[in-house]
Amino acid sequence: MPVLVLDAGNALFKHPNSTGEANEKPRAELVLKQMEALGTAAMAVGARDLTLGLDFLRGGAKGAKMKLLSVNLVDKEGKAPFPASAVLSAGTLKVGVIGVSPEGTLPGGQGQPAIPAVLAEAKRLREKDKVDVVVVLAAVPYTLARQMAQQGEGVDFVVQSHEGRGPGSTYRDGLATFVPPGERGRQLARLELSVDGPGAFEDLATASRSQESLKMVEANLARAKERLAATKDEAAKRALEETVASFEARRADLRKKSQASAKGLARTQLLSYIQLGADVPSDPAVQKQVERLEPPGAGHAGHNH
Amino acid sequence: MRLRPLALAALALLLVPFVAGAAPKKAVLLFTGDNGGEIAPCG
Repeated sequence: MPVLVLDAGNALFKHPNSTGEANEKPRAELVLKQMEALGTAAMAVGARDLTLGLDFLRGGAKGAKMKLLSVNLVDKEGKAPFPASAVLSAGTLKVGVIGVSPEGTLPGGQGQPAIPAVLAEAKRLREKDKVDVVVVLAAVPYTLARQMAQQGEGVDFVVQSHEGRGPGSTYRDGLATFVPPGERGRQLARLELSVDGPGAFEDLATASRSQESLKMVEANLARAKERLAATKDEAAKRALEETVASFEARRADLRKKSQASAKGLARTQLLSYIQLGADVPSDPAVQKQVERLEPPGAGHAGHNH
Repeated sequence: MRLRPLALAALALLLVPFVAGAAPKKAVLLFTGDNGGEIAPCG
């Protein structure tokens, strides 16, 4: 299956303001280089990518295939230093990717109001570029990213980075689906998509959970019916009849939800996470470069665990 | 002019296999984020 690698931003630095640490710059350069080597197609520009200013980031991105995106960032002259979005192909799937930066003052620039800019760009990608899917790489605070998902007309997925919130699970939030990407390279979020027409994406995980619940409800319903058949007491019968009716209503609802896994749905999504623990070996060449910057046993500044 | 409905019908027949046989577009999107300058394994 074709694969597209995207980064939600805040990849390069530990802090949004420079600490003056000697390793700060070479570490960011190494991360940028490795993201390019991994084939990351696009990345949003977050606060922790601008720590050394706009010029450093622009310089690092020069000649790279990886696209740095921001729909709302402007430099001191009021010009957009990066494209707002990119249209990327994953096999036959045409994916519109929008990058968003935090609102307010940033090193070397200013983050303009994010939501109107995202909505306008999503509309443009749908109408002009005829993309199949719109993904927002939201390098903005969690609350703003959630508002973006809730009001996200034309947006399918919002992938958020900013605070390093750690692992989470995907959920539908208003009009779009919210996806936590993980943090510090400890996991990859894997979103499997199938598009066979227009409409909203159905979550196959929801369908799978509904199928499990359906089995339990059917077992409970069978037991309630057995007890009803054996009961002579009128009051107990009435109570059991109510129970049976409630189980039947629940069964009908779950049957409907579990059918989402059936063939014929126009659009489906399935999110899972790939953990990158000690069982995943390091690339020896990259390991050497890392050890030059952070010798083994020297302790890693900034680790809080 | 009488040929026009026939031509349209022929065009429709030609297009049907493409529409009916079009496979769903499938892809995997891999997301990273909030790496925070991390370069060393941290457990």
